Amino acid sequence: MSNAAIEQDTTHDIVVDEVFPHAPEAIWTALTSGDLIGRWLMPPTGFEPVEGNRFTFKTTPAGPWDGTIHCEVLEVRPQKRFAYAWKGGHEANVGYGAKLDTIVTWLLSKVDGGTRVRLVHSGFVLPLNETAFSNMGAGWKKVVPRLGEIASEI
Amino acid sequence: MKEANDLGAVVRALADPTRRAMFERIADAGEIAVADLTHGSGVTQGAVSQHLKTLKQAGLVAERPEGRKVFYRVAPGGLAPLADWIDHYDVFWRERFGKLRALLKEIDT
Repeated sequence: MSNAAIEQDTTHDIVVDEVFPHAPEAIWTALTSGDLIGRWLMPPTGFEPVEGNRFTFKTTPAGPWDGTIHCEVLEVRPQKRFAYAWKGGHEANVGYGAKLDTIVTWLLSKVDGGTRVRLVHSGFVLPLNETAFSNMGAGWKKVVPRLGEIASEI
Repeated sequence: MKEANDLGAVVRALADPTRRAMFERIADAGEIAVADLTHGSGVTQGAVSQHLKTLKQAGLVAERPEGRKVFYRVAPGGLAPLADWIDHYDVFWRERFGKLRALLKEIDT
C-alpha cells in the first residue's frame, strides 16, 4: 500500500458508556479477574492483570484466521483504568475476521449511585476517509435495529 | 441489496487510489454530474466513465439521468460489507455490557 493510501485511511472507535449501580471496586474485580471475565466476556487463557501479560481469547474462526484474539495488558490503574491490546483476524478476510490491531480500554469513574463504565475499543482501520463513511450513514448504523433486539433481551 | 459475494468487488473497486478519490468526491458532493467529476480530476471523461462503471457494479454508486446529463451519488448500504467487522464488535460489546451487568447483580449484592 502506498503512503498516500495509508494517509487516507481513518480509524474508528467503538464506545459504550453506561452507569452501573455498583462500586468501582466490584466492577474492577469483574473486569480484571480471569474467572469472572470468563463469565461475562469469554474465558481468557493465560490472563493476569499485570502490565505486559499476554493472554488469548478463542472466537469463531474465519477463512485463514483460527479465531484467536491475542491480547496484551497495557495499563492497570486499579479502579480507574484498564487497557489491553486486542489483535486478530487475517489480511485475506473482509468483514468479520478482517485484520485487527486494536486496543480495548476500560475507564471507571465514581458517580452518584454507582460507577460510570466507559469502554473504548479503538483502532478499527477504515479504508476511506471519515466523510465518505459519515455521508454514507448505512454502515454501522444498520446495527441500530439489532441493538433494540439485544436491549429487549437484557 | 448486495450479496456477500460482492465484498470482493467493493474491495477491488476501492483499492484503486483514483477510484477511491472519485468515490470520496461523490460522497462529499452528495450528487455530482460526470462532467463536474471529470473537471479538475486530471483524468479523461472516458477514464472517469470506466471508473464509475466499476463503482456502480460494486454497488457503491447509483446514477440518475437528467436530460443529457447523468448524476452520480453514493449508494446507500454500499459500504456496509466493510463495516461488518466494526458492527460485529459494536453488537458484541453491548451484549457483553448486559452480561457484565447481570453478573455484578449476582455477585455484588
